[in-house]
Amino acid sequence: MTKISRYFVPKFSWLALPFAAVFFLFFVIPLFLTIIVSFWDYNDYSIIPDLIFENYVYIFEGCFQFDADLCMTFKTYLSTLYFCLLTWGLTLFVGFFVAYFLAFYVKTIPIQIVLFLICTIPFWTSNVIRMVSWIPLLGRHGLINDTLIFLGIIDAPVEWFLYSEFSVILALVHLYTLFMIVPIFNSMIRIDKSIIEGAYDAGASEIQILTNIIIPLCKPGIVIGSIFVVTVVMGDFVTIGIMGGQQLASIGKIINTEMNYLQLPGAAANAVILLFITIIIIITMTKFIDIRKEL
Amino acid sequence: MHRTGSRGFYFFLIFFVLFALFLYGPMFSIILLSFQGPNGGLTFPMNGFSFHWFGELWKGAGVVDIGSAFRRSLLLGFVVMILTVVLSVAAGLAFRKQFRGAELLFLMTIASLIVPSIVLSLGVALEFRLLDETIKWFGGRFEIEKINYEFQTTLGMFTSGMGTQLTWTLPFGLLIMFAVFNRFDKSYEEAARDLGATQWQTIREVVLPIIAPSIVGIGLFGFTLSYDELARSSQVMGATNTLPLELRGLTTTVTTPIIYALGTITTLFSFVVIGTFFLIFWLLSRSRSKVLR
Amino acid sequence: MGNKFSRRDTLKFGLGATLGATTALYAPAVLSSDAPVIRYLGTAVNMGDEIEKKLFEDTGIKVQYISKTTDEVTKSVLTQPNSFDIVDSEYFSLPKLVPSGNILGMDTTRIKEWDNVTSIFTKGMTPSGKKVGLQGTAPSKVMYLTGATSGKFADEATQYATLIPTVYNADTLGIRPDLIDAPVTSWADLMRPEFKGKAATLNIPSIGIMDAAMVVEAMGEYTYPDKGNMTKAEIDLTMKIFTEAKKAGHFRAFWSDFNESVNLMASGEVVIQSMWSPAITAVKAQGKPCVYQPLKEGYRAWAAGFALPKTTKGKQADVVYEFINWYLSGWVGAYLNRQGYYSAVLSTAKEYMSENEWGFWMEGKPAAEDILSPSGAKLGSVGEVRDGGSYEDRMGGVACWNATMDENKYMVRKWNEMVAA
Repeated sequence: MTKISRYFVPKFSWLALPFAAVFFLFFVIPLFLTIIVSFWDYNDYSIIPDLIFENYVYIFEGCFQFDADLCMTFKTYLSTLYFCLLTWGLTLFVGFFVAYFLAFYVKTIPIQIVLFLICTIPFWTSNVIRMVSWIPLLGRHGLINDTLIFLGIIDAPVEWFLYSEFSVILALVHLYTLFMIVPIFNSMIRIDKSIIEGAYDAGASEIQILTNIIIPLCKPGIVIGSIFVVTVVMGDFVTIGIMGGQQLASIGKIINTEMNYLQLPGAAANAVILLFITIIIIITMTKFIDIRKEL
Repeated sequence: MHRTGSRGFYFFLIFFVLFALFLYGPMFSIILLSFQGPNGGLTFPMNGFSFHWFGELWKGAGVVDIGSAFRRSLLLGFVVMILTVVLSVAAGLAFRKQFRGAELLFLMTIASLIVPSIVLSLGVALEFRLLDETIKWFGGRFEIEKINYEFQTTLGMFTSGMGTQLTWTLPFGLLIMFAVFNRFDKSYEEAARDLGATQWQTIREVVLPIIAPSIVGIGLFGFTLSYDELARSSQVMGATNTLPLELRGLTTTVTTPIIYALGTITTLFSFVVIGTFFLIFWLLSRSRSKVLR
Repeated sequence: MGNKFSRRDTLKFGLGATLGATTALYAPAVLSSDAPVIRYLGTAVNMGDEIEKKLFEDTGIKVQYISKTTDEVTKSVLTQPNSFDIVDSEYFSLPKLVPSGNILGMDTTRIKEWDNVTSIFTKGMTPSGKKVGLQGTAPSKVMYLTGATSGKFADEATQYATLIPTVYNADTLGIRPDLIDAPVTSWADLMRPEFKGKAATLNIPSIGIMDAAMVVEAMGEYTYPDKGNMTKAEIDLTMKIFTEAKKAGHFRAFWSDFNESVNLMASGEVVIQSMWSPAITAVKAQGKPCVYQPLKEGYRAWAAGFALPKTTKGKQADVVYEFINWYLSGWVGAYLNRQGYYSAVLSTAKEYMSENEWGFWMEGKPAAEDILSPSGAKLGSVGEVRDGGSYEDRMGGVACWNATMDENKYMVRKWNEMVAA
């Protein structure tokens, strides 16, 4: 902060008030209720005010017997983290280079906006419909399998295109790459063009410029994009559910099932743990790069 | 800077085109399958070719009223978009300087992304139910006729529904603002101030124009996220359903390509709207550049 | 559809529809005084716009549908009873709904056709007196309350019913006969090795485990005292068999939506799976052969009905009762029967169906002419017989009902464990 203070930055902290009010009303209070409820008892039809820890104990039941199989909770978290890590890596790779193309190769703002819109339009067809449409695309008798068979590349339909880890990752990358592109792009267009021009003139190659200038300078954008992707994948249950044929585990799915059976305190306890774990991941990420530095 | 003719350009252009193709992947099956005959289903092989399902869609979509759900979602999406832009730009400006509670607000914003949507949705539903009960108790206690006879619930699209969607769109808005103000060149503002501009003038005349493209981006994000939101909205819309909720209900009975026809129409409509928008923009900027010259 | 029936009050309808369409959008239901509007919460299964239109023609009542999935309907009743005027819920949700006090007992004296409601609900037997299997949450076990607001089930008939029945059916496995060689006769066939990677079941644990129990019993592994209310040990045993099959890749997918089950079957991803009757109809409508295979162990049945939340009172309640009476008066019954469901009051529905239709859907007779769905799609040709036969045969062959178990919590946990395995 010291470096900036010689600049003039007006203080408008009150401008954050409406923002904070929305979060107070629609996030803090409900979250508070959720945390309270996670200590309540419940039966089939109602939740009973109480102060018990059973909901938490129940989640970790059998998790600390090291001679037995991994318990359900740990297995589920491992599976969730696995999806999270793979999706993160892939969206980062794809998102970074798409943003790179948009920021450094596309010259005018209108064309940048057009290309962004082109990337956004598929998302205006409801996800409910798009999820259904993966089946005719990837299925046993789907468009891709049929095309590959027609071209003689394969003899029999490939089964793992659908209802597999592959299809889950594919759908997640499809959904969330845009969440990576936008912040990275915004970081990139803030990079002072003269630095890059200078490096060019000094004879630096594109790869050198990329690794020595651009990547370091858009780290905040990368971290912000990573926060988006990691958080939404950690809580996902729709995509992993549908694309995994409901046979792959994710913590969001467990919470969803519990909610459907009105086991609210159990679901609340799971949500609190999920929140806790994800916050640790995010804090670790921001440990490396303070995204609010140099604001 | 990077020359458009360079090898790198074509390499990344191909990369981008492949990415776009990937994004449109599911759209291919949606568009193809929407042109099936009257006996068509939601999967391949195609059952004939016709415009039957577009006709059906035009007639009113069968089971549930997709038209009004679509209008509701569109309206909600626009309101959420505007609020997201205004609130996150305002908060973004505030966050440029340290203030009391900034850390806490930031953590809250992040946490809001993390809390599973369904849990938050239920939390909000519980909150509003408490509010309803309070209002009813109040009505009974003081015998307020209007409450006792007419009041039903405070849950609604533009109360609980909108608020809950904002907890989803605002974190995105704010974090994008961070990416924007990060490395924001303050010398422009310095210059403006040296020339005697007030704080507001500086924001209006200098800061906002510079960040305008990013604001468009936030708006786009806000709208898209709200328009397609399902999990968070599920418990808080009261007696009205948004389009995704309606479609979700619809998929419990409808198995005809009518929903694909809807997807095709949406896509086509989006392209037309955006195309028109850019034609106007292009014509305007052309005439403006003439004037400047 | 609908054209067949008299179009009286066309003018009123046209005018009212315009008014209704403009006011129903944002105005809270009771505030619009022109046409009474009721907010109808339920699954989309029973929400046809034909029903909506016909209702308005006949009674001037306008419905505003709030369609949700089965589980979400239950959740809405428990967490936001203010948001609807009438709910269409399944009987197996009742052990959750009734004790919550959020729904009222339905006054049967206000239901005109109450005495004609099929005996499956009131006595637990078919019209001809055949005993129906009562394992699980059978409607006849949870039909009555001790009082309007008592929150307790009554052992014998009282004035107050929990739900006024609307629709029900007997479920079994659906198969693609064109993709299967050997005949399927038993629930155990779901686990036949040749169906590896081509079988599916439900992702709704409480129903999925019932199917699993039918399979386990058919395989001769165990005989349950009550499949609808298993002990922990029984749950362990049932889930163990399913978990092993799942790990071995026996199931292509678990489906949660009606529409998913249709897509799985129509696309050939799956050739045998647990299915609902209209899903079969939907697959057939796409020109793919599909059979709702009767199995020797019998059917798993379900039923749904109407209830009022405790917040619907006075004039609004009158409108809702009028709606229910209209619903049972036959037109809707015929509409439901034509989709392969069963209506609660058979005598009234019969009046609205042709002799051929009634014979095909209810009496197990071969079709004398083509059988059409409510939307006009051809479901059966001349000479075809309904899978499973007559109402008596199908409902009489019910082995168990969808249920809420005492060990629900444990069951859900075991289901999650299977998914994680």
